[in-house]
Amino acid sequence: MTKAQIFQLICDQINIVIPELMQHPIAPTHSLKVLGANSIDRAEIIMLTMAALKVKIPLIEFAKVDNIQGIVDVFYHQIILADSISGLVKEDKCEAS
Amino acid sequence: MRQVNQKFSRVVITGMGAITALGQGITSLKKGLKKGYSLFNKNPLFPELSFPVISAAIDNFNLEEAVSGFNSIPEELKLKVFKTGRRSPKAIQISLITVLEAYQQAKILNRSVDPTRIGLVVAGQNTTQRYSYDLFSSFQEEPSYLSPTYALHFMDTDQVGTLSEVFNIQGEGFNVGGASASGNIALIQAYRMIQQKTVDICLVVGVMADLSPLEVQGFHNIGAMGGKYFAEFPSKASRPFDSNHEGFIWGQGSGCLILESQEIADHDGISSLGEMKGTAIALDAHRYSEPNVLGESRVMQQAIAEAGMVPEDIHYLNTHGSGSIVGDETEVKAIHEVFKDLTNQVWLNATKGLIGHCLWSAGILEAITTLIQMQEGFLHPNLNLENPIDTSLRWVGKQAESVEIKTALSNSFGFGGMNSSVLLLRGE
Repeated sequence: MTKAQIFQLICDQINIVIPELMQHPIAPTHSLKVLGANSIDRAEIIMLTMAALKVKIPLIEFAKVDNIQGIVDVFYHQIILADSISGLVKEDKCEAS
Repeated sequence: MRQVNQKFSRVVITGMGAITALGQGITSLKKGLKKGYSLFNKNPLFPELSFPVISAAIDNFNLEEAVSGFNSIPEELKLKVFKTGRRSPKAIQISLITVLEAYQQAKILNRSVDPTRIGLVVAGQNTTQRYSYDLFSSFQEEPSYLSPTYALHFMDTDQVGTLSEVFNIQGEGFNVGGASASGNIALIQAYRMIQQKTVDICLVVGVMADLSPLEVQGFHNIGAMGGKYFAEFPSKASRPFDSNHEGFIWGQGSGCLILESQEIADHDGISSLGEMKGTAIALDAHRYSEPNVLGESRVMQQAIAEAGMVPEDIHYLNTHGSGSIVGDETEVKAIHEVFKDLTNQVWLNATKGLIGHCLWSAGILEAITTLIQMQEGFLHPNLNLENPIDTSLRWVGKQAESVEIKTALSNSFGFGGMNSSVLLLRGE
């Protein structure tokens, strides 16, 4: 999955939680907080994105980010990490067999 | 017994809002009551259960459409209602709309009202059962993805928080749990808050009961819920005080009443729809679902006495009348105990025969139907009262009666030995 796809997925969740934010173009550099999402809205958007991507990341990881790009990066790194672990597991299984 | 003291404020009702199976708004309810209209059906939302669930449900509710119908409410508030409620459980969305209607009637938005002098009492406990139940299968699949808002929405107090934020209510506020007597008990708490000048205006909101299959199965297993004999004839199922009654038929409904001190209403030139004059709550020391003649008669007597009246002064009693066999028989005995040889003079009907048993909001909706009937000079029919269990009482028949009513009692009783009665006077 690319970062652009993750960004689009986050926009889809924003549209579910706060549809009026989507009335104007949203860029990765925008901050959800500045756009008007409160802490509960932000947690909801992140949780819905986690469920859509089928990943689990402690919410504290997102506390450090300043904008949507930061959220995209946290998800992207988790997916890359999960893919590489999955690859290693597959390699292990191949070697074992 | 509490004695009404002159230093207490008189409490008038200045706004009403309702959503029931009969439709959105007081106008729909009034029309249904006059025509003796009911909308009981087999509820399709309980495929898990092995028996048909007959109910008068609120179907096809849409928050955006409901909000858009209020022409005299500022767009800013309508948008706030929609934005705040759109992802909340259905019961909260419906409460928002009933409050909006009552606010409009009491003209709260057009008046200079100190928000710290407005109170809020929300009637109902266990109000999010269906919401939790619907989330449970996805939770079992993956608990981590549970919505963070669940922590807010599962609590009954979410109603208080949401309504106070949307309507800027900053006085005293809380939930009241009293089983099926919740509505009356909430009304009584609001009445006392105004009497004692804790607040000037108080909203009382009855929450729609959104039961999950667990609660419905539980009510079925304990023998409280009817609908077996008349499963193929849902409109016949709710039959309070009829010899073929077999338990309550669930109704969904939310109501809001705005109570205020008469001084404030007079000062602001707001018409009174009625006055609350006497109230009583009493436990009868029985924890189960055992109605009690002494408890029921005691609250009626206390409410009448608190108003400084006697049984002869009561023209009409809006009964608890759930359709439960033991419940109906007990209430009839309590009515005889209170009214003695006057029982052929007091008109009786049961609103649950038309809109079902709305559980947490029943007391509020029945206070509303009582006020509507007093205002409009009629008494709604007892649609399915074909063979009354007691023929000596003065039941309204299958057609509405044109009657001028000035003084009425409204009863609400709940599991756990909770008894309550309120005495209402007709407004201007």
